[in-house]
Formats: sequence, structure tokens, C-alpha cells
Amino acid sequence: MARLFDFPGGVYPPERKARSAQSPLRRAPLPAQVVLPLRQHSGRPATPCVSLGDNVHTGSLIAKRDGLISADVHATVSGTVSHVDGDTIVIGSDGQDTRQNLPPLDWRATDASVLLTRLDESGVVGLGGAGFPTHIKARVIERHAIDTLVINAAECEPYITADDLTLRCYPSEVLEGAQLIASLCGAQQIVIGIEDNKPEAIAALKRAISQSQPASVTLTIIPTRYPSGSERQLIKKLLNRTVPSQGLPADVGVLCHNPGTLLAALYAVRDGQPLIERIVTLSGEAIAQPGNYWVRLGTSIETLLEQLGLDNARLSCVIKGGPMMGTALETLNTPITKTTNCLIAATHEELPPVPMESPCIRCGACESVCPAQLLPQQLHWYARAQEDDKLERYHLFDCIECGACSYVCPSHIPLVGDYRESKSRLRHNKIEAAKAEHAKHRFEFRQARLAREEAEKQARRQARLAHNKPTDGNASNESNSAPPVDLRSLRIAQTAAKAAVRKAEKILARAAQQEPQQSHEDLETLLATAQENLKAADLQLAQARESAKAPTAEDTP
Amino acid sequence: MSMFHASQVDDASSPLMAPPTASLMRWVVIATLPGVMAMTYYFGLGVLSNIALAAIMGVLLEAGMLRLRSRPIAPALTDTSTLLTGVLLGASLPPASPWWLIGVGMLAAVVVAKQLYGGLGHNPFNPAMVGYALLLVSFPTYMTLWAPPQPLLNDTLWAQILGTLPTFQLDALSGATPLDAFKHKPEELSAQQFWSSNPLPEQTLTAWYTISLAWLSGGALLLIKRIISWHIPVALLGSLVALAALFYLGDSGRFASPVFHLLTGATLFGAFFIATDPVSAATSQRGKLLYGAGIGVLIIVIRNLGGYPDAVAFAVLLMNLCVPLLDLYTVPRPTGHSKDAPGVPR
Repeated sequence: MARLFDFPGGVYPPERKARSAQSPLRRAPLPAQVVLPLRQHSGRPATPCVSLGDNVHTGSLIAKRDGLISADVHATVSGTVSHVDGDTIVIGSDGQDTRQNLPPLDWRATDASVLLTRLDESGVVGLGGAGFPTHIKARVIERHAIDTLVINAAECEPYITADDLTLRCYPSEVLEGAQLIASLCGAQQIVIGIEDNKPEAIAALKRAISQSQPASVTLTIIPTRYPSGSERQLIKKLLNRTVPSQGLPADVGVLCHNPGTLLAALYAVRDGQPLIERIVTLSGEAIAQPGNYWVRLGTSIETLLEQLGLDNARLSCVIKGGPMMGTALETLNTPITKTTNCLIAATHEELPPVPMESPCIRCGACESVCPAQLLPQQLHWYARAQEDDKLERYHLFDCIECGACSYVCPSHIPLVGDYRESKSRLRHNKIEAAKAEHAKHRFEFRQARLAREEAEKQARRQARLAHNKPTDGNASNESNSAPPVDLRSLRIAQTAAKAAVRKAEKILARAAQQEPQQSHEDLETLLATAQENLKAADLQLAQARESAKAPTAEDTP
Repeated sequence: MSMFHASQVDDASSPLMAPPTASLMRWVVIATLPGVMAMTYYFGLGVLSNIALAAIMGVLLEAGMLRLRSRPIAPALTDTSTLLTGVLLGASLPPASPWWLIGVGMLAAVVVAKQLYGGLGHNPFNPAMVGYALLLVSFPTYMTLWAPPQPLLNDTLWAQILGTLPTFQLDALSGATPLDAFKHKPEELSAQQFWSSNPLPEQTLTAWYTISLAWLSGGALLLIKRIISWHIPVALLGSLVALAALFYLGDSGRFASPVFHLLTGATLFGAFFIATDPVSAATSQRGKLLYGAGIGVLIIVIRNLGGYPDAVAFAVLLMNLCVPLLDLYTVPRPTGHSKDAPGVPR
């Protein structure tokens, strides 16, 4: 076994995984209706491409990605579209579950660009929670050299066993998916990080590892400690590499994927099956049949829980995600999405309400468990006082919101809640400050569009002129005199526009990956502007080349 | 956000977790018991009367202040922090101090040092030490009247507490603490000569050594229960012993030995019960080490070179003053920040 390194802090909350890990993986009943949100991923919502009354099959594309950071959405049952608006598409099932898959591909014999397109059009996103589009993540190779793919199977949150069951049931498929992603991003080694509380998954992986090639696969078993499943902490633990603050794992040559995502990626490529279902852990004392289920995306949480024997009398709240980082659902009338990994129907005894907050006495318990080595007690103080410059000085944005500090606080202070609030306030302020910048981008975008339209008009006029006076020597002379100079500067302009597009893409991809939950409107505008500029430059260049070529063609005969 | 809380789950795999704030304070009160019992054994019921009066007056003052500030009274009283302040101040005062002296001390501690700054968690200075320092500066005669070791109950206890005992009688009752006696030893005597002259009433040194060790045992309980971290006591005692040893090696005729500094006066009491008050101490681990070391140095500097025989209160208060600065310069470098860009403020 590889040597283990350590990250600071951490806590040992009760695991409570046995309840859902003991039953086998089952399939939830096919829902009678699915509600599919257009934003199940980080970035922009997808744009619907079906209308009311359309018949769709399971796997039909129903909404197209919009912008760079976005993902396609597919029908998860066959039937009729019964509702479309800006947020959701509702499909009534016909009960047939007829499939519409893409053609299967053999990834070892297929070009990388084809595979990337396949991931893109299958709507595969990170299933661990952030929902970052997988094809964008794989394209990181354009900017960074990646040597290691980390399979994050730590699953350190209490209750959740979705990755555990995924690995127990599909070990070789997950490894095959990992090999696929590793070859796409050029990683020579695959490291699996798994906590020692999943012996069955570990045994399954050990059996499957020997057949996995070409990249070498290492299985690293780490002691159970929360939050070892956090990307940064896991990379530190497995590889002793520290992801820089405000940076990405790619900055240290690592790509991190969840087993579920790898499985979905393999299905998309090998079987041509878009992302239409996922494994969800359903646990908590208030359901009769806890366990892990394959659930179609868009299934109503309420219906699902009731089918599994929800005891409404004992139910105190339903938590989406784990108890450390998840959120309590305000209504059960919401669908399962691509990022729903766990639902906990908790009873009052199971998760008693946190007692009333008392003042912070700066005991430092939070500091000793913080995996990011922050000073939570000071952050709390400044967050309450809204001292924004101090918050940034004490590195608020390095907080990974793992909740270890809230878990141990003897005064029961909801620290992470405070930090989230402060973060969004600081972001809001930054957005306000960036509004002028945004307006500038919009203006530039308009200028670029006008320039392109002008160029198009010019092209049409010249085409008309050339058509009207095909033998007029003056016209060809006129266009002949200018091009040699123009062509060169236009080529330079086109190259510059291309570079601008690449830069805008890079900035946006980075921002979106760092803060997947935020919208990056101004960056999207920036990218659109650059793309408009490039189009205009392309057009002008093509037209100049045409007119430079045209006279010679005319002269020769 | 965390739906889990360590104090709410009974199936957590690690029981090594600090208890909630209110019971945390209760544990500190419990940990003072060995020290308080040892003091009572040697100095009589006057120790308990101090503590009882201080605690009762403290709770009343706290309730009154909370009422004036229109804050909920019950939660603030159940957190036991005022009770703790009362116990700590009561244990610092000369046994059987008059009620008004204790009252003035608690007024300074609870009203001025704590509630006027915003209540628990907001006070920059250690409340008990503010009360003690104020009394020491304002009523030096009463504050230096440490009676020699005596039986549990003496006849003048009530008169002393009620403040009706005439001063000359008080003088007759009082002795000197070992630190006091050493401070005022005649210039011409060397330390060795001074000690061989038996300057203290019988049992005095034994009493102080025993009491110090009792405080140490209480401190050990706090460490074992993870209620305090080791940083402050270790840094404090370490720097105190080191500096005292330097002085002693330099001139053993003039300065007391490190062991004497460690085991007399309020050194161990201060190291485990006063300096570790988290509210007024530095917060980062590096900050705590510097904070503790600073207190140790100041105690020895004031004892050896200053005008006061003991100096725990002043040393703690002076270091309380430095806490904002310590906190500012000891921000730890978070994960992911490069080594050449430390957490020091820009």
C-alpha cells in the first residue's frame, strides 16, 4: 500500500452507514412523471429543444447546453412532454420506457475529440455534488499537464453509501470509466482513495484492478476521518500535493472524479446511454426500506420516499446530501437531479435540533478541527460584525464549508451558515463592483456584432457589384490595390481574436470549476464577445481572400 | 450546513471532544475544588466565605446588568461563567476578606470588565483579574493581610467578614505570604541567611506548596478533559522557570529559586485557571504559546524587579492587552497558501 500523508484537522462523526449499505443495490420503480430542471449542473441552465405535446423516448435530448459551462438534459422516461418553461420540463411516462441511445463506441479505438463530444452530448456531469460538466473537466489537458487521475471513493460523509455500492456492484466498469477519462486527459496513473470502512468495495476493487489497463491503478486505503473525501484533503492524503489556494487540482497535475461519474461516462461511451439515472442512497430511521437505488432523474422525492415506506408520523426532516454538508429540504415536492447523491428521512431522535446558540468563548475547538487551517472563531467574529476586509484577510474563501467547526462548537454556533452568508455577501459586493466592467463587455459585444454585420453587408455589396459588373476592370483594380496590406493585418487580427476566445474560455472554465454554484454572467458575455470578434475577423479575412483571389481568376481567362 | 452536532450524537466514534460551553464552565468550577479544599484546610473557612460571597454577588450583579441591557437572563446565568469568576476572585483574595471588599471586586469584574464590554465572549480582559488588580491598587492594606495557617474556624471570622474588626487587631492576625516575606527581606541578608532565620510562621511554606500542587491537580483534570489546551500552561510555566533560573544563576543571594517561584504565590493557579480563560487569551496555537510565554516572563520580571511580591494578575492583564496584536500576527497559513506568503496581514 502506498504511503499515506496527512491533512490537518478533521472530526469523527458517527458513520451510520450500515443502514443503507447492508441491502443490495435495487432499482426504484419507473416514475409516472418526471420533472427535469434545466439546471442540474454548475453553470447556465440548458435551453429546451422540445415543445409541449412532443413524444420523447428515454434518452432523447430535450434541452441543449447553453454556453461553455452547461450540460445537455435528456428525457429519463419515454412519453409526452406535458410542460415546458424556463426552469423545468415535465414528461408524462407512457410506461414503455422505449430507448433512444446514441451509437455505442469503443473508446480504445475512437478519437479523443469524438469521445469528448460524446461526453458532452450525453449530459455527463460530476455526480459527487458539484455537477461540473465532465467533458469540460476532461478538456483541462489543453491547459494543464495531468499525470494522475484520482478516484474519490472516500465518501466520508455519514449515511451516504452510494459510492460504496457503486464500487461493490460495478468495480470493473468504474475502472474502465477511469481508464477512459485517464486516456482523455493523459494521466499515466490512477489512484483510488477509499476509506477503510468499506471492506466489501475494497475487496471488489482488488479483484478488478489486475485486469485494468493501460494506466497503472493503485488502491490506497485511508483511515476514516471526515472530511477526507474533500478533493483538496484527499489529494494531500494520497499524493502529498497541496492544491494552491484559489487553485484547482489540475494545478498540481491531478484530476479528481467520483466513481459514479466514471460509471456514467463509461455508459455514455460504451453503450451510448446518456445520463438518465443515478444511484441514490435513501436512508434515515423514517423509511422502512433504506438502501441504494437506481433512480431516474426527475423522479419526485416525495413519491420515491413513499414507495419505500416513509413513516410520516416519525419524520422530522428530509436532508438532501449528507448530514454534515447537506441541506434540509423545505418541500418534498422536488425532483431527484444529477447531483442528488443521498436523501435522509430523519426522525427527531436521530437528528435532534441543535440547541440554542451561546456566545463564542474562543475556546479554539473549531480551530483544531479545521482541515483548511483557518481560524473559524475569528472568522465568526468578523462575519457577525460584517468586517469584510478582515474576512478576506483571514482567508474566508479558503473555507471548504465542511462543517467540522459547526460540529464541534461547544456554543452550538452555526459557523458554516455564517460563512456561507458572508461569502455570498462578499461575492455580491464584487459583482456590484464588476457591473461597470460587465456593461463595458456588453458594449464591446455590441460593437463586435455591429462590426461583423457591417462586414457581412460589405461582403454582400461586393458580391453584388462583382455580379453586376463581372468585366469591369475598375472594380477589380480597386479591390486589387488594397488586399495585400489588408490580408496580413486581418490575419493578425484573426489570430488575436482566436487567442482572446481561448483566454475567455480558460477564465470561464476556471471560475466555473472553482465556484460551481455561482453564475458567471459577465464571463459568459466576455466569451461571447470574443467569439463575435472572431467571427467578424474570420468573415473579413475570408472576404478579403475572396476578393484577392477573384481578380486573378478573372484575369487568367 | 451541519445538521450534526457533537454534543447531540451519542454514537460518535471519538469521545475526546470538549463538552458544551455551559458544562465546560462547570468543569472548570469542579476543577477548582482541589485547590479550594487545600486552601480551606490551611487557611480556614474564610476561604469558603470569600468564594460564596463573590459567587452570590457576581450572579446578582450579572442578573441586574442583563436586566438593564434587556438581555435574556436565564441562559447567561446557566452558563456558569459568572460563578466561575466568583470562585476565581474569591480564591485570590486573602481569606475572610470583608464583604464590601469582595463586592467592589465583583463589581469591577462583572459590571465593568464583563458586562460593559458586551457580556460573555466579548471581554478583552480577564474579569476576575480586573477585580483583583483594582482591589490590590485601591486597598493594599486589606489585600496583603494573609493570615498564617490556622484552624478551620476562628473566633474573629464573622467580625472579619462583616468588616467590623479594628485594624490593629487585623494586623495582629495577619502574617505574610512567602513571596511577600522574601520581597521585604532585609537588603543585607542573602537568601540563604534569610531562609535559615525562619522568617515565616510555622507550616506556611508547606501550606503554599500543598495548595500549589492541588491547583496543579485541578489543572491536570482540565487538560485530561480537553477543556484547556496545553499551549498556555506549558509556555507560561516554561518561560517562568527558565527566566527565574537565569536570575537565580546570576545572583542566587538576591533572587529566589525557580522552584520557589513555581510553587508559591499564584503561579500554578494562574497558569491553569486564569491565563487559560479562552475569551481573553490569544486564539491561534502559535498565539497561545506567545501569550503564555509573555505572562511567564512578566511574572518573573515584576516579582524580581518590580514593586509587587506576586504579579499574576498584572502579567495576565498586560498580556490581555497584547492579544489583538498577537492574533493579528499569528494567523496560521491556511492549506494551499505558499510558504513565502504567510498569514501575516497585508
